[in-house]
Amino acid sequence: MNQVLTVIQARLRMARHEIVGVRNESRLKVGVISVSALLLLSGMFVFFFSGFRWIVAFGGRGGPEYNFGELLMTRLLGVLFLSLFMLLVFSNVLVSFATLYRSHEVKRLMLSPLRFDHIFHARFFECVAFSSWSIAFLGAPMFLAYGLSMGAHPVFYLALAAFFLPAIIIPACLGCIITMVLVRIFPRVRPAWMALLGAVAVGGFFLYIRHILRGQQISDDTILPVFLQTTARMQSFLLPSHWASQGILAASRFKVGEALYWWTTLASTALFLLLVSGWLARLLYYPGWSWLAGQDRQRFRPLNRGALNRLAGVMRLVPEPARCLSVKDVKLFWRDPTQWSQFVIFFGIMAIYIANLRNTSKFYEQEMWRSWIACLNVGAVTLILATLTSRFVFPLVSLEGRRMWIIGLAPLTFAQVVRQKFWMSVATSAAFTIGLAFLSAHMLRLEPVYFLMTVYTVTLANFGLAGLAVGLGALYPVFKEENPARIVSGLGGTLNLLLSVGYIAWMVAALTLIMQWRALGLFTGGAAFRWALGGVMTLDLALTLACCVLPMKMGLKNLQNMEL
Amino acid sequence: MTETAAIRTEGLTKHFGEKVAVHALDLDIAPGTFYCCLGPNGAGKTTTIKMLTGLLHPSGGSALLGGHDIQKDPLAAKRLLGYVPDHPFLYDKLTGNEFMQFVAGLYRMTPAEYAERCGPLLEMFEIAAVADQLIEDYSHGMRQKLSFASCFLHDPKIVVVDEPWVGLDPKNIRFVKDFLRRRCRETGLTVFMSTHTLSIAEEIADVVGIIHRGRLLRAGTVNEIKALRHTAGGSLEDVFLEITRDDEEPGDANGGAARA
Repeated sequence: MNQVLTVIQARLRMARHEIVGVRNESRLKVGVISVSALLLLSGMFVFFFSGFRWIVAFGGRGGPEYNFGELLMTRLLGVLFLSLFMLLVFSNVLVSFATLYRSHEVKRLMLSPLRFDHIFHARFFECVAFSSWSIAFLGAPMFLAYGLSMGAHPVFYLALAAFFLPAIIIPACLGCIITMVLVRIFPRVRPAWMALLGAVAVGGFFLYIRHILRGQQISDDTILPVFLQTTARMQSFLLPSHWASQGILAASRFKVGEALYWWTTLASTALFLLLVSGWLARLLYYPGWSWLAGQDRQRFRPLNRGALNRLAGVMRLVPEPARCLSVKDVKLFWRDPTQWSQFVIFFGIMAIYIANLRNTSKFYEQEMWRSWIACLNVGAVTLILATLTSRFVFPLVSLEGRRMWIIGLAPLTFAQVVRQKFWMSVATSAAFTIGLAFLSAHMLRLEPVYFLMTVYTVTLANFGLAGLAVGLGALYPVFKEENPARIVSGLGGTLNLLLSVGYIAWMVAALTLIMQWRALGLFTGGAAFRWALGGVMTLDLALTLACCVLPMKMGLKNLQNMEL
Repeated sequence: MTETAAIRTEGLTKHFGEKVAVHALDLDIAPGTFYCCLGPNGAGKTTTIKMLTGLLHPSGGSALLGGHDIQKDPLAAKRLLGYVPDHPFLYDKLTGNEFMQFVAGLYRMTPAEYAERCGPLLEMFEIAAVADQLIEDYSHGMRQKLSFASCFLHDPKIVVVDEPWVGLDPKNIRFVKDFLRRRCRETGLTVFMSTHTLSIAEEIADVVGIIHRGRLLRAGTVNEIKALRHTAGGSLEDVFLEITRDDEEPGDANGGAARA
């Protein structure tokens, strides 16, 4: 019997038991998640369908002549595929480290008579599944919308399925290879050099992105050439994402030969990389794993040294047990490299955003554009905040994990624990996002009313998104999972993301509506605008209160009824 | 029945679906008693412990610690309680010292109380030298010792211990036995311990209770339990095996194998 298949079959059985276990979950919980997922899929479909239809209406549908609509669509798909490709490589680096090196199952496999490359391949498919399932889930409505709006041939849908596997295997192989090489290199590099190299790599990446995004200063008549020029840089013949996008586009136009050519290129590269990664695994995997398992583990953190140990002093006004819980949460976060490395990326996104705000200056002359920019800025800042709460706040309760007995036995109530997580989240995220709101509003030179609405909406969103993340984190905890990235990718995490995006969408849409009406002069007088603005602010406040109170109440009830 | 029982349960019952893991358990343990709970795997010992500590909700009956119902007045009951689990899952990314500080915060201890108790406990359990090291780097035995030290930090009146010997070396086993015994005698501490190590139970227990298939079959002093054997001169192990012998066909009892 094939050993790799035996291991994979065992994992599949475990996954099947997990899925069957849904029957034992609360019907309400399963119902809420299913309905929310359906709403998300439908919403995404409508969004993409409208977008693609607009592009078709704008540039024309493909015919015998190559028209502008086709070109635009090709470039957009190219950008999307490249982004997904980069995202998958990066997420595979993170997931593969946990799956190949940190998982307890690897110990058992290392004890069994399996070749190291077989162990690698057995674990590799878990990496692929974990890092790629959301692409399939979220990509499905988009590609369906594309197919329908472009009137794609049925071959297109078959091609999607055929292209999916090699398209996710290639970045997974690259991610695993990078991880295996890094694990072998890092022990030989001094910590200071390591930090410097890391900073240079991260800085270089963000500078490159900024370079691509900024390109040139754009004006009305250069916007399309600049767009085409910038996206052309992402159409390299050497990129697998390009092969996938070209192949799928060819399939949608029923150019079977061309689609087959790109699929063969993609599939052969995937198979080749599978062989290369297996060959490298024979050389690198066990030495790296063994080094990690046998390193001299005597990491001292004396109580009287370091900024982290001054936290308790800084927070002396916070009463116990909230203080000790917060200090503990911050220390656990900071000492987990997978957590703060993603935090660095979050800051990078913020930095790129701020750096690009200056490019909007040409639109300041018209009231309508000023209004759009102000509202989009609110959307961008609150989306950054939603990313922060979904990724870092939602898993807080789950991360108590099998240590929940410590809190469960202490003389404190779960209400205190939930409140502590909420206020810690609000305090931490507000420090970044309210600052970002002020900074972006200042850089955009917003008028007082836009300035006020930006800061007001972002402040409310801090509370609403924290309430959702903490409440849903307590309602759908995943105590068996230690990896926060996996906790977030579960059903509860997905629901939290959906509701967070829905909450933001409501606030930004309401704000945009009012501001656009004002910009277009549709209000009969200043009083009407003020009433409308007051109404929106009140509705936002009510929605925020609901987002704080309801999920936290439900989450608290779940914790109180929970058996540890 | 003692009026001021340290641990009292009345009809304490736990169902897991159809299965009855603990069936109408009545306990009445006086302060200062060292109570050893014995039973085969799946007898219901851990389920009993989890209900006593409030980690599981009973399906029926009640559990009182120092007169406080763990379900109705959990905060008062938990202030009296210390717990050492069989698998010491602690916060890996904290140091031993930081973990002790965290526990002190949970129990709202004053800095003076913490300073007075923490150092001696870490010394006593021989982890002072590694107290600034991340728990992630501790061996199983060191984690268990830290678990014991943190359990006694808030000076509990009742300590519940679930099979604590795993990972401890002989020297530490001796130390923990003597320490618990001494605290029972000198400070009136009540210990409820679940164990499979019958020789230790025989050595240190004031009262032994034997649970099988979720029911308390026998309880008494070691000598009283030993006297239950039909032929004289047997050890506690002989009596235990005789009492818990499965004469019934599998599946005809109340599902004692529901949980360990």
